Amino acid sequence: MTGVVLYVSLVLFGALTGVASGLLGVGGGTLMVPFLTLAVGLTQHQAEATSLLVILPTAIAGTLALRRRGVGEAGVALRFGVVGAVGAVLGALLALALPASTLRLVFAGFVAIVGVRLLRDGLRAHSRAETG
Amino acid sequence: MRDVAGRPHGISRELLAIGALGGALSGLLGVGGGIVMVPLLVLWARYGQRDAHAASLAAIIPISIAGIATYGIAGQVEVWPAIALAVGSIAGARVGAGLLARIDERLLKALFGAFLLGVAVLMVVRR
Repeated sequence: MTGVVLYVSLVLFGALTGVASGLLGVGGGTLMVPFLTLAVGLTQHQAEATSLLVILPTAIAGTLALRRRGVGEAGVALRFGVVGAVGAVLGALLALALPASTLRLVFAGFVAIVGVRLLRDGLRAHSRAETG
Repeated sequence: MRDVAGRPHGISRELLAIGALGGALSGLLGVGGGIVMVPLLVLWARYGQRDAHAASLAAIIPISIAGIATYGIAGQVEVWPAIALAVGSIAGARVGAGLLARIDERLLKALFGAFLLGVAVLMVVRR
C-alpha cells in the first residue's frame, strides 16, 4: 500500500482498534501490530513501537470518556501504571535484543493464547447465570 | 490520598505486581498490556469486569509512555502511520467507551477470542 490509500486504510483501521480499545480496556496493539506487519509491511520492531505511539492517545481518550461516565478510578490505576512503566522499559529492551522473526513468533504465540482464553472464558461464562 | 471512604480499590501489592507484569508485556510486544492486566485485576485484585477494563486503560497511559521512549531511542517509531492510526482510534475509543456501559461482556469476549485466534494463525502463516 502506498500514499493516500495507505493513510486512509490506517485511519479506518485505527477507528476499528479504537472501538475495541474502548470496549475491552486494551490499547488495541493486539490488532495493530499484526496489521502493521501483514498489511503495511513494517518490521516487527517498528510495528510494536508504532503501536505503542497509537495506544497512548487512545488510552487517554478512552480514560477521559470513561471518567465522564463515572466508570472506574483512574487515580489508583495511574499509580500502578507507573510501576508498569519500569516493566515496559525492561520489556522493550528485551524485544530490541531479539531478532524480528523470533519476536514475531513470540507475538503470534501470545495472541493465540489470549484468543483461546478469551474464547473459553466468554463461552463458559455465557452459560452461567448473570451475577453482575 | 483522595480516596473516599467506602471506595473498594486502594493501591495494593497485587496491583503493583499486575502493573509491572502488564508493563513488561507491553514493552516486549508493543501492546497495551490490558490483555494481561484485565483478567488479573478481575481474578486477583477482585475488580469487576467493567472496573478492570477502565483501570487497565488508565494504567496503559504511563506504561505506553515508557515503551515509546525506549523504542524511540532505538529509532523504531514510525510517526506518520502512528498519527493516521491515532486519528481513527481516538474517535473509535469514544464510541467503544460509550458501548462499554451496555454491552454483553461475555459475548464480546468470545467474539474477540475467536478473532484473535485467526490473527495468530495469519501471523505464523504469512511470515
